Amino acid sequence: MKFGNLLIAGLVTGSIYAVFAVCVSVWYRVSNILNLAVGDFAMVGALGVDYVYRVKGLPLPVAIITTLAVVGVFAYAYDRVVLRLAQDGPRRMEGIVVTFFFTFALSFFIDGVAKMLFGTDVHAAPALWNGQALTWASLHFERAGLLVLGCAIIIGGAFWLYIRYTLGGKALEACGENVIGARIAGIDTRRYRWLIFVATAVIAAIFGIVESPITGYTYLSGATISLTGFLAAAYGGFRKPGRALLAGLFIGVLEALLGGYVSAEYGDTVLYAILAALVLAWPRGLGFESAVSG
Amino acid sequence: MTAALTVTNLSVSYGNVVAVHDATFTVEEGDACAITGPNGNGKSSILMGVTGLVRRRGAVEIFGTKAPNGDVRWAARHGLTLVPERRQLYPDLSAADNIILGCYCWTRSIGRARRSGSFGRAIDLFPELEPHLKQAAGTLSGGQQQMVAIARGLASDPKILAVDEPCLGLAEAVARRVYDVLARIHEQGTTLIIVEEAPKRALTLCNKRVEVRNGLALLDAGGKTA
Repeated sequence: MKFGNLLIAGLVTGSIYAVFAVCVSVWYRVSNILNLAVGDFAMVGALGVDYVYRVKGLPLPVAIITTLAVVGVFAYAYDRVVLRLAQDGPRRMEGIVVTFFFTFALSFFIDGVAKMLFGTDVHAAPALWNGQALTWASLHFERAGLLVLGCAIIIGGAFWLYIRYTLGGKALEACGENVIGARIAGIDTRRYRWLIFVATAVIAAIFGIVESPITGYTYLSGATISLTGFLAAAYGGFRKPGRALLAGLFIGVLEALLGGYVSAEYGDTVLYAILAALVLAWPRGLGFESAVSG
Repeated sequence: MTAALTVTNLSVSYGNVVAVHDATFTVEEGDACAITGPNGNGKSSILMGVTGLVRRRGAVEIFGTKAPNGDVRWAARHGLTLVPERRQLYPDLSAADNIILGCYCWTRSIGRARRSGSFGRAIDLFPELEPHLKQAAGTLSGGQQQMVAIARGLASDPKILAVDEPCLGLAEAVARRVYDVLARIHEQGTTLIIVEEAPKRALTLCNKRVEVRNGLALLDAGGKTA
Protein backbone atom coordinates (compact mmCIF):
# COMPACT_ATOMS: atom_id res chain seq x y z
CA MET A 1 0.00 0.00 0.00
CA LYS A 2 3.07 2.21 -0.10
CA PHE A 3 2.21 3.12 -3.67
CA GLY A 4 -1.33 4.10 -2.76
CA ASN A 5 -0.21 6.33 0.09
CA LEU A 6 2.48 7.94 -2.04
CA LEU A 7 -0.11 8.53 -4.73
CA ILE A 8 -2.45 10.23 -2.27
CA ALA A 9 0.35 12.41 -0.91
CA GLY A 10 1.37 13.23 -4.49
CA LEU A 11 -2.17 14.15 -5.48
CA VAL A 12 -2.45 16.51 -2.51
CA THR A 13 0.82 18.33 -3.31
CA GLY A 14 -0.04 18.14 -7.01
CA SER A 15 -3.42 19.74 -6.46
CA ILE A 16 -1.68 22.65 -4.71
CA TYR A 17 0.67 23.11 -7.68
CA ALA A 18 -2.29 22.72 -10.00
CA VAL A 19 -4.32 25.47 -8.38
CA PHE A 20 -1.42 27.92 -8.44
CA ALA A 21 -0.70 26.96 -12.05
CA VAL A 22 -4.34 27.63 -12.92
CA CYS A 23 -4.19 31.00 -11.17
CA VAL A 24 -1.03 31.95 -13.07
CA SER A 25 -2.31 30.83 -16.45
CA VAL A 26 -5.85 32.21 -16.18
CA TRP A 27 -4.52 35.66 -15.36
CA TYR A 28 -1.86 35.40 -18.08
CA ARG A 29 -4.66 34.55 -20.48
CA VAL A 30 -6.36 37.83 -19.58
CA SER A 31 -3.50 40.23 -19.15
CA ASN A 32 -0.37 38.70 -20.72
CA ILE A 33 1.36 39.28 -17.39
CA LEU A 34 2.80 36.40 -15.36
CA ASN A 35 1.77 36.67 -11.74
CA LEU A 36 4.97 35.91 -9.82
CA ALA A 37 3.37 37.13 -6.60
CA VAL A 38 0.66 34.46 -6.48
CA GLY A 39 2.62 32.43 -3.90
CA ASP A 40 3.11 35.50 -1.75
CA PHE A 41 -0.64 35.97 -1.55
CA ALA A 42 -0.84 32.36 -0.27
CA MET A 43 1.84 33.15 2.32
CA VAL A 44 -0.03 36.28 3.44
CA GLY A 45 -3.21 34.18 3.73
CA ALA A 46 -1.56 31.61 5.99
CA LEU A 47 0.56 33.95 8.13
CA GLY A 48 -2.13 36.64 8.21
CA VAL A 49 -4.71 34.28 9.71
CA ASP A 50 -2.11 32.98 12.16
CA TYR A 51 -1.26 36.58 13.16
CA VAL A 52 -4.83 37.76 13.66
CA TYR A 53 -5.96 34.53 15.39
CA ARG A 54 -2.96 33.55 17.53
CA VAL A 55 -1.22 36.87 18.17
CA LYS A 56 -4.18 39.24 18.23
CA GLY A 57 -6.53 36.68 19.75
CA LEU A 58 -9.54 37.26 17.52
CA PRO A 59 -11.93 34.40 16.61
CA LEU A 60 -10.89 32.21 13.67
CA PRO A 61 -13.75 33.16 11.28
CA VAL A 62 -12.98 36.85 11.87
CA ALA A 63 -9.28 36.18 11.23
CA ILE A 64 -10.01 34.39 7.94
CA ILE A 65 -12.46 37.00 6.66
CA THR A 66 -10.20 39.90 7.63
CA THR A 67 -7.16 38.35 5.96
CA LEU A 68 -9.01 37.54 2.74
CA ALA A 69 -10.50 41.04 2.65
CA VAL A 70 -7.07 42.63 3.13
CA VAL A 71 -5.59 40.49 0.34
CA GLY A 72 -8.48 41.35 -2.00
CA VAL A 73 -8.38 45.07 -1.32
CA PHE A 74 -4.59 45.15 -1.64
CA ALA A 75 -4.69 43.31 -4.98
CA TYR A 76 -7.37 45.70 -6.24
CA ALA A 77 -5.35 48.74 -5.15
CA TYR A 78 -2.22 47.35 -6.80
CA ASP A 79 -4.07 46.91 -10.06
CA ARG A 80 -5.61 50.39 -9.90
CA VAL A 81 -2.34 52.13 -9.08
CA VAL A 82 0.52 50.18 -10.65
CA LEU A 83 -0.84 47.94 -13.40
CA ARG A 84 -3.14 50.69 -14.61
CA LEU A 85 -0.18 53.02 -15.07
CA ALA A 86 1.73 50.28 -16.88
CA GLN A 87 -1.03 49.11 -19.19
CA ASP A 88 -3.74 51.71 -19.58
CA GLY A 89 -1.68 54.88 -19.89
CA PRO A 90 -1.20 56.79 -23.14
CA ARG A 91 1.98 54.80 -23.72
CA ARG A 92 1.14 51.18 -23.10
CA MET A 93 4.20 49.24 -21.96
CA GLU A 94 4.75 45.89 -23.52
CA GLY A 95 7.24 43.07 -23.61
CA ILE A 96 9.41 41.42 -21.05
CA VAL A 97 9.33 44.32 -18.58
CA VAL A 98 5.57 44.17 -18.14
CA THR A 99 5.44 40.36 -18.35
CA PHE A 100 7.67 39.91 -15.31
CA PHE A 101 8.74 43.11 -13.66
CA PHE A 102 5.63 44.42 -11.94
CA THR A 103 4.61 41.21 -10.22
CA PHE A 104 8.22 40.31 -9.39
CA ALA A 105 8.60 43.66 -7.66
CA LEU A 106 5.28 43.08 -5.91
CA SER A 107 6.55 39.72 -4.63
CA PHE A 108 9.59 41.38 -3.02
CA PHE A 109 7.42 44.11 -1.57
CA ILE A 110 5.02 41.61 0.04
CA ASP A 111 7.93 39.57 1.40
CA GLY A 112 9.40 42.67 3.01
CA VAL A 113 6.15 43.71 4.66
CA ALA A 114 5.51 40.12 5.80
CA LYS A 115 8.95 39.92 7.40
CA MET A 116 8.23 43.04 9.46
CA LEU A 117 4.73 41.92 10.45
CA PHE A 118 5.06 38.18 10.95
CA GLY A 119 8.76 37.73 11.75
CA THR A 120 10.98 35.01 10.31
CA ASP A 121 9.72 31.91 12.15
CA VAL A 122 7.70 29.08 10.67
CA HIS A 123 4.00 29.51 11.37
CA ALA A 124 0.76 28.12 10.02
CA ALA A 125 -2.91 28.94 10.12
CA PRO A 126 -4.74 26.65 12.58
CA ALA A 127 -6.06 23.41 11.11
CA LEU A 128 -9.65 23.85 9.95
CA TRP A 129 -10.57 20.19 10.27
CA ASN A 130 -9.00 18.68 13.36
CA GLY A 131 -8.50 15.05 14.23
CA GLN A 132 -6.65 11.87 13.38
CA ALA A 133 -5.87 10.92 9.82
CA LEU A 134 -8.69 8.93 8.24
CA THR A 135 -7.81 5.36 7.35
CA TRP A 136 -9.43 3.23 4.71
CA ALA A 137 -8.02 -0.16 3.70
CA SER A 138 -4.52 0.76 4.91
CA LEU A 139 -4.62 4.05 2.99
CA HIS A 140 -4.08 7.16 5.08
CA PHE A 141 -5.89 10.39 4.34
CA GLU A 142 -4.72 13.47 6.20
CA ARG A 143 -7.71 15.68 6.88
CA ALA A 144 -5.90 18.84 5.78
CA GLY A 145 -4.90 17.02 2.59
CA LEU A 146 -8.51 16.10 1.84
CA LEU A 147 -9.50 19.71 2.40
CA VAL A 148 -6.83 20.85 -0.05
CA LEU A 149 -7.94 18.29 -2.61
CA GLY A 150 -11.58 19.30 -2.21
CA CYS A 151 -10.81 23.01 -2.61
CA ALA A 152 -8.68 22.26 -5.67
CA ILE A 153 -11.48 20.30 -7.31
CA ILE A 154 -14.03 23.03 -6.59
CA ILE A 155 -11.81 25.89 -7.78
CA GLY A 156 -10.45 24.06 -10.84
CA GLY A 157 -13.97 22.94 -11.78
CA ALA A 158 -15.41 26.42 -11.35
CA PHE A 159 -12.77 27.98 -13.60
CA TRP A 160 -13.26 25.26 -16.19
CA LEU A 161 -17.03 25.67 -16.28
CA TYR A 162 -16.70 29.46 -16.42
CA ILE A 163 -14.24 29.51 -19.33
CA ARG A 164 -15.85 26.68 -21.24
CA TYR A 165 -19.54 27.44 -20.90
CA THR A 166 -20.08 31.16 -20.33
CA LEU A 167 -19.80 34.15 -22.59
CA GLY A 168 -17.90 35.95 -19.82
CA GLY A 169 -15.32 33.14 -19.82
CA LYS A 170 -14.83 33.42 -23.57
CA ALA A 171 -14.55 37.19 -23.22
CA LEU A 172 -11.84 36.60 -20.63
CA GLU A 173 -9.89 34.57 -23.17
CA ALA A 174 -10.43 37.19 -25.85
CA CYS A 175 -8.84 39.89 -23.64
CA GLY A 176 -5.43 38.23 -23.74
CA GLU A 177 -5.73 37.13 -27.37
CA ASN A 178 -6.36 40.55 -28.85
CA VAL A 179 -6.97 43.67 -26.78
CA ILE A 180 -8.22 45.76 -29.70
CA GLY A 181 -10.46 42.96 -30.93
CA ALA A 182 -11.86 42.54 -27.42
CA ARG A 183 -12.62 46.25 -27.01
CA ILE A 184 -14.35 46.35 -30.40
CA ALA A 185 -16.69 43.60 -29.22
CA GLY A 186 -17.57 45.70 -26.16
CA ILE A 187 -15.41 43.75 -23.69
CA ASP A 188 -13.96 45.74 -20.80
CA THR A 189 -10.40 44.34 -20.76
CA ARG A 190 -9.38 46.43 -17.73
CA ARG A 191 -12.26 45.14 -15.66
CA TYR A 192 -11.38 41.53 -16.46
CA ARG A 193 -7.75 42.19 -15.57
CA TRP A 194 -8.50 43.44 -12.06
CA LEU A 195 -11.34 40.98 -11.46
CA ILE A 196 -9.19 37.95 -12.22
CA PHE A 197 -6.18 39.43 -10.41
CA VAL A 198 -8.22 39.94 -7.24
CA ALA A 199 -9.95 36.56 -7.62
CA THR A 200 -6.68 34.64 -8.04
CA ALA A 201 -5.08 36.53 -5.14
CA VAL A 202 -7.96 35.58 -2.84
CA ILE A 203 -7.95 31.97 -4.09
CA ALA A 204 -4.21 31.78 -3.42
CA ALA A 205 -4.77 33.16 0.07
CA ILE A 206 -7.49 30.56 0.73
CA PHE A 207 -5.09 27.85 -0.36
CA GLY A 208 -2.40 29.22 1.88
CA ILE A 209 -4.81 29.01 4.83
CA VAL A 210 -5.97 25.46 4.03
CA GLU A 211 -2.56 24.10 3.15
CA SER A 212 -0.29 25.74 5.73
CA PRO A 213 -1.08 23.23 8.53
CA ILE A 214 0.59 20.55 6.34
CA THR A 215 3.86 22.31 5.53
CA GLY A 216 4.11 25.48 7.64
CA TYR A 217 5.01 28.84 6.09
CA THR A 218 7.66 31.51 6.56
CA TYR A 219 7.69 34.95 4.99
CA LEU A 220 9.83 33.49 2.18
CA SER A 221 7.56 30.54 1.29
CA GLY A 222 5.76 32.51 -1.41
CA ALA A 223 8.57 32.42 -3.96
CA THR A 224 8.79 28.60 -3.93
CA ILE A 225 5.05 28.24 -4.41
CA SER A 226 5.02 30.78 -7.24
CA LEU A 227 7.92 28.96 -8.90
CA THR A 228 6.18 25.58 -8.88
CA GLY A 229 2.92 27.09 -10.08
CA PHE A 230 4.86 28.94 -12.75
CA LEU A 231 6.57 25.72 -13.83
CA ALA A 232 3.31 23.78 -14.09
CA ALA A 233 1.73 26.71 -15.96
CA ALA A 234 4.67 26.65 -18.37
CA TYR A 235 3.72 23.06 -19.25
CA GLY A 236 0.41 24.46 -20.41
CA GLY A 237 2.11 27.13 -22.51
CA PHE A 238 0.89 29.64 -19.86
CA ARG A 239 -2.36 29.91 -21.79
CA LYS A 240 -4.12 26.62 -21.14
CA PRO A 241 -5.43 26.42 -17.57
CA GLY A 242 -6.71 22.85 -18.07
CA ARG A 243 -3.33 21.60 -19.16
CA ALA A 244 -1.60 23.57 -16.41
CA LEU A 245 -3.86 21.80 -13.91
CA LEU A 246 -2.91 18.35 -15.24
CA ALA A 247 0.76 19.35 -15.27
CA GLY A 248 0.52 20.45 -11.63
CA LEU A 249 -1.01 17.12 -10.59
CA PHE A 250 1.58 15.21 -12.63
CA ILE A 251 4.49 17.07 -11.05
CA GLY A 252 3.08 16.48 -7.56
CA VAL A 253 2.58 12.75 -8.09
CA LEU A 254 5.97 12.33 -9.77
CA GLU A 255 7.65 14.19 -6.92
CA ALA A 256 6.02 11.91 -4.32
CA LEU A 257 6.83 8.70 -6.21
CA LEU A 258 10.45 9.72 -6.79
CA GLY A 259 10.80 10.67 -3.14
CA GLY A 260 9.34 7.32 -2.07
CA TYR A 261 10.98 4.91 -4.49
CA VAL A 262 14.15 6.56 -5.84
CA SER A 263 15.66 8.76 -3.22
CA ALA A 264 14.31 11.10 -0.59
CA GLU A 265 17.41 13.26 -0.91
CA TYR A 266 17.79 13.43 -4.65
CA GLY A 267 14.12 13.08 -5.57
CA ASP A 268 13.80 16.75 -6.51
CA THR A 269 16.94 16.66 -8.63
CA VAL A 270 15.65 13.66 -10.56
CA LEU A 271 12.24 15.35 -10.84
CA TYR A 272 13.66 18.47 -12.47
CA ALA A 273 15.87 16.34 -14.73
CA ILE A 274 12.78 14.47 -15.94
CA LEU A 275 10.83 17.71 -16.43
CA ALA A 276 13.68 19.26 -18.41
CA ALA A 277 14.05 16.12 -20.52
CA LEU A 278 10.32 16.22 -21.31
CA VAL A 279 10.60 19.79 -22.52
CA LEU A 280 13.56 18.95 -24.74
CA ALA A 281 11.94 15.83 -26.15
CA TRP A 282 8.49 17.23 -26.79
CA PRO A 283 8.45 21.05 -26.78
CA ARG A 284 5.56 21.55 -29.14
CA GLY A 285 3.31 19.00 -27.47
CA LEU A 286 3.87 20.63 -24.09
CA GLY A 287 3.06 24.07 -25.39
CA PHE A 288 6.54 25.53 -24.88
CA GLU A 289 6.82 26.83 -28.41
CA SER A 290 3.63 28.80 -28.12
CA ALA A 291 4.84 30.16 -24.79
CA VAL A 292 7.99 31.47 -26.43
CA SER A 293 6.49 32.75 -29.64
CA GLY A 294 3.44 34.13 -27.83
CA MET B 1 -34.44 60.05 -43.31
CA THR B 2 -32.74 60.42 -39.96
CA ALA B 3 -29.03 60.85 -39.51
CA ALA B 4 -27.44 57.60 -38.36
CA LEU B 5 -24.04 59.14 -37.86
CA THR B 6 -23.09 62.80 -37.64
CA VAL B 7 -19.41 63.70 -37.56
CA THR B 8 -18.48 67.32 -36.87
CA ASN B 9 -14.93 68.72 -37.03
CA LEU B 10 -13.33 65.36 -36.29
CA SER B 11 -9.56 65.46 -35.85
CA VAL B 12 -7.29 62.57 -34.97
CA SER B 13 -3.59 62.92 -34.23
CA TYR B 14 -0.85 60.50 -33.22
CA GLY B 15 1.63 62.52 -31.16
CA ASN B 16 2.51 65.50 -33.34
CA VAL B 17 1.26 63.92 -36.54
CA VAL B 18 -2.22 65.00 -37.57
CA ALA B 19 -3.88 62.11 -39.41
CA VAL B 20 -7.37 63.59 -39.80
CA HIS B 21 -8.11 67.29 -39.87
CA ASP B 22 -11.60 68.68 -39.26
CA ALA B 23 -13.61 66.02 -41.03
CA THR B 24 -17.35 66.75 -41.18
CA PHE B 25 -19.88 64.44 -42.78
CA THR B 26 -23.24 62.79 -42.18
CA VAL B 27 -24.41 59.26 -42.92
CA GLU B 28 -28.19 58.84 -43.17
CA GLU B 29 -29.98 55.72 -41.97
CA GLY B 30 -30.01 53.16 -44.76
CA ASP B 31 -27.04 54.70 -46.56
CA ALA B 32 -24.07 52.78 -47.81
CA CYS B 33 -21.22 55.22 -47.49
CA ALA B 34 -17.76 54.68 -48.94
CA ILE B 35 -14.75 56.41 -47.40
CA THR B 36 -12.14 56.36 -50.14
CA GLY B 37 -8.72 57.78 -50.80
CA PRO B 38 -5.09 56.72 -51.14
CA ASN B 39 -3.30 54.74 -48.46
CA GLY B 40 -1.98 56.71 -45.49
CA ASN B 41 -4.39 59.60 -45.98
CA GLY B 42 -6.40 59.02 -42.83
CA LYS B 43 -9.35 56.86 -43.91
CA SER B 44 -8.92 54.27 -41.19
CA SER B 45 -8.13 57.00 -38.66
CA ILE B 46 -11.52 58.58 -39.38
CA LEU B 47 -13.21 55.25 -38.66
CA MET B 48 -11.11 54.62 -35.56
CA GLY B 49 -11.83 58.13 -34.29
CA VAL B 50 -15.56 57.75 -34.94
CA THR B 51 -15.81 54.39 -33.17
CA GLY B 52 -13.61 55.57 -30.32
CA LEU B 53 -10.72 53.18 -30.84
CA VAL B 54 -8.37 56.19 -30.81
CA ARG B 55 -8.94 59.53 -29.07
CA ARG B 56 -10.27 62.36 -31.18
CA ARG B 57 -11.30 65.99 -31.15
CA GLY B 58 -14.66 67.02 -32.50
CA ALA B 59 -18.13 65.63 -32.04
CA VAL B 60 -19.64 62.29 -33.10
CA GLU B 61 -23.35 61.59 -32.78
CA ILE B 62 -24.86 58.12 -33.28
CA PHE B 63 -28.61 58.35 -33.91
CA GLY B 64 -28.64 61.75 -32.24
CA THR B 65 -26.78 60.68 -29.08
CA LYS B 66 -23.38 62.23 -28.46
CA ALA B 67 -20.68 59.57 -28.30
CA PRO B 68 -18.11 59.81 -25.48
CA ASN B 69 -14.51 60.17 -26.56
CA GLY B 70 -12.26 57.13 -26.73
CA ASP B 71 -14.84 54.51 -25.72
CA VAL B 72 -15.23 51.88 -28.42
CA ARG B 73 -17.47 49.80 -26.15
CA TRP B 74 -20.01 52.60 -26.02
CA ALA B 75 -20.19 52.67 -29.81
CA ALA B 76 -20.77 48.91 -29.97
CA ARG B 77 -23.56 49.14 -27.39
CA HIS B 78 -25.23 51.98 -29.27
CA GLY B 79 -25.42 50.34 -32.64
CA LEU B 80 -22.13 51.19 -34.36
CA THR B 81 -19.83 48.20 -34.75
CA LEU B 82 -16.40 48.27 -36.34
CA VAL B 83 -14.99 45.45 -38.44
CA PRO B 84 -11.41 46.60 -38.15
CA GLU B 85 -8.52 46.56 -40.55
CA ARG B 86 -6.51 43.34 -40.25
CA ARG B 87 -9.63 41.81 -38.68
CA GLN B 88 -8.34 41.67 -35.06
CA LEU B 89 -9.72 38.20 -34.36
CA TYR B 90 -8.86 36.03 -31.36
CA PRO B 91 -6.55 33.52 -33.09
CA ASP B 92 -6.63 30.70 -30.50
CA LEU B 93 -10.41 30.75 -30.10
CA SER B 94 -12.63 28.83 -32.49
CA ALA B 95 -14.38 30.65 -35.34
CA ALA B 96 -17.72 30.07 -33.60
CA ASP B 97 -16.41 31.58 -30.34
CA ASN B 98 -15.05 34.57 -32.25
CA ILE B 99 -18.46 35.17 -33.80
CA ILE B 100 -20.46 34.64 -30.62
CA LEU B 101 -18.31 37.18 -28.76
CA GLY B 102 -19.86 39.78 -31.03
CA CYS B 103 -23.00 39.28 -28.89
CA TYR B 104 -21.11 40.34 -25.75
CA CYS B 105 -22.13 43.98 -26.14
CA TRP B 106 -25.81 43.15 -25.58
CA THR B 107 -25.87 39.96 -23.48
CA ARG B 108 -23.80 37.99 -20.97
CA SER B 109 -25.78 34.79 -21.51
CA ILE B 110 -24.28 32.33 -23.96
CA GLY B 111 -27.66 30.63 -24.39
CA ARG B 112 -29.39 33.85 -25.37
CA ALA B 113 -26.51 34.71 -27.67
CA ARG B 114 -26.76 31.32 -29.45
CA ARG B 115 -30.52 31.57 -29.87
CA SER B 116 -30.46 35.21 -30.97
CA GLY B 117 -31.50 36.36 -34.41
CA SER B 118 -28.32 38.35 -34.92
CA PHE B 119 -26.07 35.34 -34.27
CA GLY B 120 -28.20 33.15 -36.54
CA ARG B 121 -28.12 35.76 -39.27
CA ALA B 122 -24.34 36.10 -38.99
CA ILE B 123 -23.90 32.32 -39.35
CA ASP B 124 -26.46 32.01 -42.15
CA LEU B 125 -24.78 34.66 -44.28
CA PHE B 126 -21.60 32.58 -44.49
CA PRO B 127 -22.53 28.95 -45.24
CA GLU B 128 -18.91 28.36 -46.33
CA LEU B 129 -17.79 28.85 -42.71
CA GLU B 130 -20.01 25.99 -41.48
CA PRO B 131 -17.33 23.24 -41.70
CA HIS B 132 -14.73 25.50 -40.07
CA LEU B 133 -16.69 26.79 -37.09
CA LYS B 134 -14.78 24.64 -34.59
CA GLN B 135 -11.39 25.47 -36.08
CA ALA B 136 -9.08 28.01 -34.38
CA ALA B 137 -9.57 31.34 -36.12
CA GLY B 138 -5.82 31.84 -36.54
CA THR B 139 -5.62 28.76 -38.78
CA LEU B 140 -8.29 29.94 -41.24
CA SER B 141 -7.48 31.45 -44.63
CA GLY B 142 -7.48 35.22 -45.04
CA GLY B 143 -10.88 35.22 -46.74
CA GLN B 144 -12.41 33.00 -44.06
CA GLN B 145 -10.95 35.22 -41.35
CA GLN B 146 -12.51 38.28 -42.99
CA MET B 147 -15.86 36.48 -43.04
CA VAL B 148 -15.50 35.61 -39.35
CA ALA B 149 -14.71 39.27 -38.61
CA ILE B 150 -17.79 40.47 -40.49
CA ALA B 151 -19.92 37.78 -38.83
CA ARG B 152 -18.63 38.87 -35.40
CA GLY B 153 -19.62 42.43 -36.29
CA LEU B 154 -23.11 41.28 -37.31
CA ALA B 155 -23.58 39.26 -34.13
CA SER B 156 -23.51 42.55 -32.21
CA ASP B 157 -26.76 43.40 -34.01
CA PRO B 158 -25.46 46.72 -35.35
CA LYS B 159 -27.55 49.46 -36.89
CA ILE B 160 -24.39 50.77 -38.52
CA LEU B 161 -21.64 48.40 -39.62
CA ALA B 162 -18.30 50.09 -40.34
CA VAL B 163 -15.97 47.86 -42.34
CA ASP B 164 -12.32 48.84 -42.71
CA GLU B 165 -10.60 47.60 -45.89
CA PRO B 166 -12.67 44.40 -46.20
CA CYS B 167 -10.74 43.08 -49.18
CA LEU B 168 -7.17 43.85 -48.11
CA GLY B 169 -4.96 40.99 -49.30
CA LEU B 170 -7.83 38.86 -50.61
CA ALA B 171 -8.06 37.16 -54.00
CA GLU B 172 -10.46 38.74 -56.49
CA ALA B 173 -13.06 35.94 -56.22
CA VAL B 174 -13.05 36.10 -52.43
CA ALA B 175 -13.28 39.91 -52.51
CA ARG B 176 -16.36 39.64 -54.75
CA ARG B 177 -17.92 37.20 -52.30
CA VAL B 178 -17.26 39.61 -49.41
CA TYR B 179 -18.95 42.40 -51.35
CA ASP B 180 -21.94 40.17 -52.18
CA VAL B 181 -22.41 39.62 -48.47
CA LEU B 182 -22.01 43.32 -47.68
CA ALA B 183 -24.68 44.07 -50.30
CA ARG B 184 -27.04 41.59 -48.63
CA ILE B 185 -26.37 43.08 -45.22
CA HIS B 186 -27.24 46.49 -46.67
CA GLU B 187 -30.41 45.13 -48.29
CA GLN B 188 -31.48 43.76 -44.91
CA GLY B 189 -31.51 47.33 -43.61
CA THR B 190 -28.13 47.85 -41.95
CA THR B 191 -26.40 51.16 -42.63
CA LEU B 192 -22.94 50.53 -44.05
CA ILE B 193 -19.71 52.49 -43.94
CA ILE B 194 -16.93 50.97 -46.01
CA VAL B 195 -13.34 52.17 -46.04
CA GLU B 196 -11.77 51.22 -49.34
CA GLU B 197 -8.59 52.23 -51.08
CA ALA B 198 -9.93 51.23 -54.51
CA PRO B 199 -13.20 53.18 -54.89
CA LYS B 200 -14.33 51.27 -57.94
CA ARG B 201 -15.51 48.23 -56.02
CA ALA B 202 -16.99 50.21 -53.13
CA LEU B 203 -19.01 52.42 -55.45
CA THR B 204 -20.85 49.47 -56.98
CA LEU B 205 -22.57 49.25 -53.62
CA CYS B 206 -22.39 52.68 -52.03
CA ASN B 207 -24.72 55.62 -52.63
CA LYS B 208 -22.49 58.11 -50.90
CA ARG B 209 -18.81 58.83 -50.86
CA VAL B 210 -16.42 60.63 -48.54
CA GLU B 211 -13.13 61.23 -50.30
CA VAL B 212 -10.13 61.67 -48.02
CA ARG B 213 -7.00 63.52 -49.16
CA ASN B 214 -4.18 64.30 -46.74
CA GLY B 215 -6.42 63.99 -43.74
CA LEU B 216 -9.08 66.29 -45.21
CA ALA B 217 -12.50 64.80 -45.86
CA LEU B 218 -14.29 65.95 -49.00
CA LEU B 219 -17.92 64.97 -49.25
CA ASP B 220 -19.02 63.75 -52.61
CA ALA B 221 -22.69 62.92 -52.93
CA GLY B 222 -22.21 60.77 -56.01
CA GLY B 223 -22.11 57.02 -55.99
CA LYS B 224 -23.36 53.90 -57.72
CA THR B 225 -22.35 55.55 -60.98
CA ALA B 226 -18.61 55.22 -61.10
